[in-house]
Amino acid sequence: MDQTARRFIIFLSLVMLLIAAIYFTGDLRSRRTFAEELLLTAIAPVQGFFSEVGWRTYHFIRVVRDHDLLLAENKMLQQELAVRDQLRHRFMELQKENFRLRQMLGFKEQAPFALLPAQVVARNPTHWFETITIDRGYADGVAKDMAVVTARGLVGNVLKVSGSSAEVLLLTDPRRAVSALVQRTREPGTVVGIVEGHPEEKGYLRMLNIPPGAKLRPGDTVISAGLGGVFAKGLIIGSLAEIGADQFGLLQQAVVKPAVDFNRLEEVFVVTGQMPAQGQDT
Amino acid sequence: MKGLNGKKPFSFYLSVCLLSILILLIEGSLLALFFGGAVMPDLLLVMVICLAFIQGEQKGMVLGLLAGLLQDLFFGPAIGFFGLAKMVTAYLVGLASREIYKDQLIGLMVIVFIATFVHEFIILFLGLLFWGGTGSFFYLLDILFLEKTVYHLLLAVPVYLLLHRAERHGFFYIFPK
Repeated sequence: MDQTARRFIIFLSLVMLLIAAIYFTGDLRSRRTFAEELLLTAIAPVQGFFSEVGWRTYHFIRVVRDHDLLLAENKMLQQELAVRDQLRHRFMELQKENFRLRQMLGFKEQAPFALLPAQVVARNPTHWFETITIDRGYADGVAKDMAVVTARGLVGNVLKVSGSSAEVLLLTDPRRAVSALVQRTREPGTVVGIVEGHPEEKGYLRMLNIPPGAKLRPGDTVISAGLGGVFAKGLIIGSLAEIGADQFGLLQQAVVKPAVDFNRLEEVFVVTGQMPAQGQDT
Repeated sequence: MKGLNGKKPFSFYLSVCLLSILILLIEGSLLALFFGGAVMPDLLLVMVICLAFIQGEQKGMVLGLLAGLLQDLFFGPAIGFFGLAKMVTAYLVGLASREIYKDQLIGLMVIVFIATFVHEFIILFLGLLFWGGTGSFFYLLDILFLEKTVYHLLLAVPVYLLLHRAERHGFFYIFPK
C-alpha cells in the first residue's frame, strides 16, 4: 500500500472517530471531561484578562469617539433616574399593599430570585452557535439549565459547566426554544407561543404557534411562560416587532426584538434559585 | 520549502496549539466585541489553511485536527465538531497544495476561497445532521459565506507571509523534543 493510500485510510478513520465523538459529546452532557476541565481551568484567568483588555479598549474608543453623544446620554439618563426614583417609591408602596392584600386573601407571596453575578469572559465568535462564557462554575453553585438574566431581561440558560466557568446558550441560538406569552393579553385568551432564535434575522427572535385569533400589536412585551421547567414565569424576553401569518396561514408568527443586547453583554446574573419569600419563616 | 522533514514535530504541533489558543482568546474577546455580532473572520481557519498549504496533507491533517479540537473546547457544541471541519479542510488544502506553485499567491487565494466554502459547508452539514435546520442554505451562503470569504481573502496573504517567515526562521521549533 503506498503512502497516499495509507494516509487516506488514516484520514477516513479519523473522520468516523470524530463523527462518533460529536454524537457522544453533544448537548446532553452537563459536565466536561477531566481533560477539558483541566485546560479550561488553566485558561480561565487568561480569558478573563483578554476580556478585560477588550472591554477597556472598547470603552476607551467609545469615550473618545462618542464624547458628545455620551454627554447628552448622561443628561438624559439623569432625568430618567429622577423619574425612576419616583416610580420606585410608588412601586414600594404598591408592593406593600400587594403583600397585605395577598395575606388577607391567603395567597403565597411570590419569592424573588436568588441571583449570582457573573462576568462575561468570552463570546462564541463562530457565528453558527450563540453562546457566551461566564466566570462562574459549579464551584460557585452554577448548574446546567439555570436561567441567566440581566436587568433588562432574559439572556439564556447554562449549557455546560466546569469548575470556574460555564457556557451559556443565548436565546438567539437556533437550538434554544422558550415557551412565551404576550404580557398584555395574558387574561382570557392567553397567547402562548414558542420563542426561538430567528434563523434569518441576526440578533432577533421569532415567536411561533400563536393562535390565529390573538390580537397582537407591535411593541407588546413578550415574557417567559414558565412552561418548560427551565425558565421561571415572567422574565422579559423582548417586544413584538412584526406580526404575520405563518407559512401555512393557519397560525400567526411574530418577529421579537430582544430586550437584551446580546452583542454587548458584559455582566449577567445566574438565577440560582428562589430566595425565601417575604413574610415566610426561614 | 523544507516542511517538517528532519525537524521536531512535537515542537511544531505544540507551537501550533499555543498559537491556536492565542487566536481563540483574541477571537472570543477582542474580535467578538468589536465585530459586535456581525459576521467576523475565522482567523483560526485562515491559519490552518495557510499552514496546511505550506506543510502538505499529512501535517495539515494533524494541525487542522488539533486547532479544531481546541476550538471545540472553547466554543464547540460537541468535541470533534470543528475538529472534523478543520481536519477535512486542511487535508484537502494539503492535497491541493501539491499541484500549486507556492510562490504564486493567486494559487493561495483560490485555495482560501474554496477552503472557506468547504469548511462552512461541513459546519452547515454537521449542524443539520445533529441539531436540525438553522436557516436556508442560500441565506447562509449569502450572509455568512460571502462576507467571511472577503475577510479571509484579505487576511490570507499577510497571514501566509507571516507564517512562511516564521517557519523559515524556526519559530515553530523553539521547544525541545
